[in-house]
Amino acid sequence: MKKEVKTRFPVARIKKLMQSDDDIGKVAQATPIVVAKALELFMISLIEESCNQARNTNSKRVAPAHLKQAVMNTDQFDFLQEVVDKYPNPIANDSEDTETTGRRKGRKPKVEE
Amino acid sequence: MSDREFSGSDELSLPKATVQKIISEIIPSDLTFSRETRDALIECCIEFIMILSTESNDIAEKENKKTIASEHVVQALEVLGFTEYIDPIKEVVHEHKESQKGRERKVGKLESSGMTEEELLKKQEELFGLARSKLHQGSGVA
Repeated sequence: MKKEVKTRFPVARIKKLMQSDDDIGKVAQATPIVVAKALELFMISLIEESCNQARNTNSKRVAPAHLKQAVMNTDQFDFLQEVVDKYPNPIANDSEDTETTGRRKGRKPKVEE
Repeated sequence: MSDREFSGSDELSLPKATVQKIISEIIPSDLTFSRETRDALIECCIEFIMILSTESNDIAEKENKKTIASEHVVQALEVLGFTEYIDPIKEVVHEHKESQKGRERKVGKLESSGMTEEELLKKQEELFGLARSKLHQGSGVA
């Protein structure tokens, strides 16, 4: 499901964020624009996954636990494990509907770097 | 907004309103994002920017480049496992290049008129004169 959003991130802010890390030096003019686009795609993906999790629990409100579950279910979002760690764990899915996606299969053993 | 007074990276964040707008554009109409979730999302976004920047920086350094170019970001996305972002990103790079070209070629209206400033002023006077006379004719009609 490809979605496009009209809202754009302020490019200057992104550049500031990037350069808040002292290791990061100069960036070409196009670079923050490109990062902004990547961020947009990332957000869409994370939001959609979180919404899917909310649906799985029959909730109308997308809670941090849903976001956490989305992160746990998606390889790409591995780098977010620490960020979401502080949020409550997703409640076990006790809705009596059809198969739950990935609750059992999705949990990966923690890999030490 | 005291944007200029921030000290250190903790103060830097993404504008909440922008994030909220994007959320609203994406979520289905029957769902809502709680404020806490939105804030969690913002944290994730910042984390994303940072790892993408770090990876891009590493790649640039490996190539002995001091400036992070969009090409480095593209490679970083590959490394980080976001390969499906690469095509849309390449399009953005292309559009950006095109708009840069356009900017250089753009000539101001003044230059493209082919007349000097005096000539333009004269022309303006003539046009005013024409307009005035039209006005006078018009007011006489019953």
